[in-house]
Amino acid sequence: MNVPSEHLFFLSAGLFSLGVLGFLVRRNVIVTLMCVELMLNAANLAFLAASRMHSTPESLDVQGPVFSIFVITVAAAEAAVGLALVIALYRLKQSVETDSASEMKG
Amino acid sequence: MPPSPSHAWLWWIPLLPLIGSVLCGALHLATLSARKRDPQAKGPAGLAPLIACAAMAGALALAVKGLFDLRALDAAARILNSTSWEWITVGDPRQPWFEVDLRLVLDPLSSTLGLVITGVGLLIHIYASGYMKGDAGYAKFFAYLNLFVFAMLMLVLSSSLLGVFVGWEGVGLCSYLLIGFWYEKGWPAEAAQKAFITNRVGDACFLIGSFLLLRLFGTLDMHEIVARMGADFRLDAVSDDVKLNIALAALFLFGGCCGKSAQMPLFTWLPDAMAGPTPVSALIHAATMVTSGIYLVVRLNPLFASSPAVMTLISGVGVATALIGGSTALVQRDIKKVLAYSTVSQLGYMFLGLGTGAFGAAVFHLVTHAFFKALLFLGAGSVIHGMHEEQDMHKMGGLRKHMPQTFATFLAGAAALSGLPLMSGFFSKDEIIAHTFNSGGVYYAFWIVGGLTAAMTAYYTWRMVALTFFGPERFDHHHVHPHESPAVMTVPLMVLAVLSVFGGVLGLPPVFHVAHVLNDWLAPVVAPGVAILNQLHPHEHLSHATEWVLLGLGAAVALAFAHTGFRTYSAGPEPDLAIGRGAPGVAAFLGDAWSIDSAYSRVVILPLRVFAFVVRFIVDQVVIDGLVNGAGSLAKNFALRARGMASGQLDAYALWMGGGAAVISLWWMWS
Amino acid sequence: MSELLFYAMCVIALLGGLGVIFSKSPMGSVLSLLGSFFALAVIYLLAGFHFMAAVQILVYAGAIMVLFLFVIMLLNLGALGTRFELSAAPLNSTRSRIAASVAAVVGLAGLIAVQSASLPRIAQGGAPERVDDINQIAIALFGRYSLPFQAVSVLLLTTMVAVLVLAKRRTRESGQ
Repeated sequence: MNVPSEHLFFLSAGLFSLGVLGFLVRRNVIVTLMCVELMLNAANLAFLAASRMHSTPESLDVQGPVFSIFVITVAAAEAAVGLALVIALYRLKQSVETDSASEMKG
Repeated sequence: MPPSPSHAWLWWIPLLPLIGSVLCGALHLATLSARKRDPQAKGPAGLAPLIACAAMAGALALAVKGLFDLRALDAAARILNSTSWEWITVGDPRQPWFEVDLRLVLDPLSSTLGLVITGVGLLIHIYASGYMKGDAGYAKFFAYLNLFVFAMLMLVLSSSLLGVFVGWEGVGLCSYLLIGFWYEKGWPAEAAQKAFITNRVGDACFLIGSFLLLRLFGTLDMHEIVARMGADFRLDAVSDDVKLNIALAALFLFGGCCGKSAQMPLFTWLPDAMAGPTPVSALIHAATMVTSGIYLVVRLNPLFASSPAVMTLISGVGVATALIGGSTALVQRDIKKVLAYSTVSQLGYMFLGLGTGAFGAAVFHLVTHAFFKALLFLGAGSVIHGMHEEQDMHKMGGLRKHMPQTFATFLAGAAALSGLPLMSGFFSKDEIIAHTFNSGGVYYAFWIVGGLTAAMTAYYTWRMVALTFFGPERFDHHHVHPHESPAVMTVPLMVLAVLSVFGGVLGLPPVFHVAHVLNDWLAPVVAPGVAILNQLHPHEHLSHATEWVLLGLGAAVALAFAHTGFRTYSAGPEPDLAIGRGAPGVAAFLGDAWSIDSAYSRVVILPLRVFAFVVRFIVDQVVIDGLVNGAGSLAKNFALRARGMASGQLDAYALWMGGGAAVISLWWMWS
Repeated sequence: MSELLFYAMCVIALLGGLGVIFSKSPMGSVLSLLGSFFALAVIYLLAGFHFMAAVQILVYAGAIMVLFLFVIMLLNLGALGTRFELSAAPLNSTRSRIAASVAAVVGLAGLIAVQSASLPRIAQGGAPERVDDINQIAIALFGRYSLPFQAVSVLLLTTMVAVLVLAKRRTRESGQ
């Protein structure tokens, strides 16, 4: 595929900003976590695009995929823990709104 | 400086009173707790006067020894140095840029004054042991008195102007402590403060004068300065700039004298200082402290002599003060106030004499004045004591029957003060008047005013005698029983009476063809100044005929006005009341010392009070406190608002984080 | 041909992102995100990352999104008839405005970064057909990057424990 790397990066930037927007706007905690996943995906795309950019047929740049694997793993862990917290929060507050728990104010 | 051996014993002269002061102070503090429990307990406080008088006697003995030692020396080299300590050294120790040594010097002038201080001081101490008996602060009083004598001795014995200043401040402090001795009454504390603050103005001038001297001569050692302006000094060989500086230094030092010796602009504290116990008035405000100014001028006589303008100013201020003091004393009812204004007036005479170049005459008058004024004050104290603290002369009268010894000695003092012929005061005052007449020019006007003041002096002195000791008894016989004072108070009176009457032998005028003892004695000290005066405008001595005329004139004026004053008031105080009715404005004006004090209240004190008010309420409360407290409340308000940021809401935190990220990106983009 | 596909997948990815934000129910958000992930997987494939495309589908779409679905269904958030939580802040509130501006700034920063960076040109013949070689990835993963690998595995272990602890139903809940 003969697509210049810039376009991949543009897509990454676009997805990332959409993720930021969603993270800041949505009030549902679960959807917020999903926006975080979106942002991480954008980052993955950026890594891979860079790796593609630096690779030549003789020496493949393998750092991009390796780092992406790590990112995916961490994202999975983070999603799991986050959702466990959501469940605990739901049990306590019977709600998953982001502003349902504000005892730490002041 | 001529190499003379150093005499360590000179240090004992001021140190004995200092030790006495410390011991009396310890005694006072030791009995403090006992007196808290029982105010009437005396305990060992009775030892205090013994300690104090012993210290004074010791100092007097040493001063007498110093006198004899000096007499044994050659006239030109009559100087005894004590051991000296290095006090201040600025710069390289071997070649210092400025240094001050602690050293005492006994020369004819300081020994004369030392004898007066210790001698009259001893008499007053003995008197005070009787006068202050029963007072709760008995030991404290003697501690303060001895401390004062120490400071005064340091003043007259120090070799350096800085040492003089230490003594100067010390006597000011003791004056404050002693004027306000009965501070519980309220007004003595105010009087003490007034004295101290007025003196402070003089002290500032003193300091400026010494700064100027330091710049001129590079040293503050008075003997050094005088030596440089001594025998080989030619005034016309000195540049005008230097002459101006010398004149300025002299002027400022004279300003200091005005403060301490209660001259024209700064005399208002002395009448108020009568709030202190009478022995204090006698010692400090008649005999010794107020004479510090005269001592300073005589000590630095070449400085003053080199500037005719300053000399004329000194005479002018002196004679004006004499007039103001004398005229005010005419209408005073309080016996101590009469004496206070009289002191102001006589000090004016001394400065008049100084301004004409008659340094020896001024010192002579200082000595005789110490005798008779101390006598008068102590006698007044005896009267007040006997009249149970009554000081208003209108309520006295006919006391000569009740207090014969006080009466006799008081007469002697009054005779000396008014200048009745052959009394000590007659000779000293006449010498000053003769010198004034001899100086010519504007001094003729001074002579006339001086004569007028002499007339007033005689008048008010004998008015005082008449109102107090003669005439009908105007006091309430049921409540007041005047009695003679105990021997411990009357014996000093008698000694001082003898000195007042016969003290004139120290300075008999030349027409008597006898040596003027004091002038000869002081000649080496005043020689530099006299030499400079002769360079400026040499004038011949008065002819014998003129002298006799002046003597006769003085005697006649004194006798005439004394007689008039006595006769007018011998029947009682009616003439005072007549004046009050007939010319109330004049009476009020005179009574308030020509309204100078009230003028000060309006012109100086009031603006200062307003300024203090402004500073306190506006600058301090509003501005400074506002700033400080405002900063505090600003921080508090800010914190309260900032606290709202920690809302506990996840959304808000997320928004802040996003905002931060945006800011960083923006910054990155724009850089 | 593949370029066209690529751009189409771009559009789908972006639309999926928008769907996450603007969907009214959480289920809709999950499905949009899934669509976005699929598109991304295709893009990876087109760009030559075969392995990564597979990992994307297996792990991301297959595990993580399923987890999200489980939780949503567990909490009964998508049931019909129940009142939905207010899903997003209203568009004209301060919050939305701030969020929009932040997102815009961040995106802009990214675009400018891309423009201003001097990216090396891809070789004349285009990128190599296959960019990720599993052999080489494995060698790198277990060789040079073995330490991060071990760390991540410990992380996964910790996560398992944490999830168990957090999500466990407390037996001593009183008076709920």
